[in-house]
Amino acid sequence: MDIHRYERLWLAGALVLIVLFIGTITYGAVVVGVEMVSASGGTIAPDEIPNDDRFSDPRPRVEQVGENEYEAYVIARQFLFQPRQLRVPEGSTVTFYVTSPDVLHGFEVVGTNANMMVIPGQVTKATVEFEEAGSYGVVCNEYCGAGHHTMEGSIEVVPQSEWEGGN
Amino acid sequence: MSSESATPDSGTGEEAMVREIGHDEFDPIGTLTLIGLYFALLVVLWLFMYFVEFLGNGPTVVG
Repeated sequence: MDIHRYERLWLAGALVLIVLFIGTITYGAVVVGVEMVSASGGTIAPDEIPNDDRFSDPRPRVEQVGENEYEAYVIARQFLFQPRQLRVPEGSTVTFYVTSPDVLHGFEVVGTNANMMVIPGQVTKATVEFEEAGSYGVVCNEYCGAGHHTMEGSIEVVPQSEWEGGN
Repeated sequence: MSSESATPDSGTGEEAMVREIGHDEFDPIGTLTLIGLYFALLVVLWLFMYFVEFLGNGPTVVG
């Protein structure tokens, strides 16, 4: 089959584009370490949340689990996040465990790629690195009822020099 | 709908062929340029979207 030379050119170009697209995604996954929010958080019966150590003892919280490593346990419910505010030091790696006792919610760190769906019966687990100090807003981005628009929280990333280790 | 008096080929251009060219002589340089521009645009926008808008928009989920 005789293919015109220009057509060869743009066929080759299209293939190069596909390779470029896959290449950048691969770069993100391998070099930068971008991951998807997976189901690795496991499941939890919504009425068992009050009896679950992670979410009830003493209350949803941030826990230090290693040098610069923290775990945050958050309950997203109509129409608030518990706790409403999380405090972590600058440069920390935070693993979020978020669950819902009622309906579908979202947990989005505003203006960033940290964005999770919170599903009743499921613990959403995602790890995020906070390199820069500052106040990050958190909003629910799944319509969850009449008070949805008031459902917000915050993550205070405190400079290392001001961090006293508490919450 | 045309009137009986009109010649069948009037206005169709079928009689207007000036010359016949071979496969390799066909040179749609304008189409090539346009597609080239589309490709360049796609590449630039993709790089911008991925590296600037996505990767530059940290914190990102890493685990």
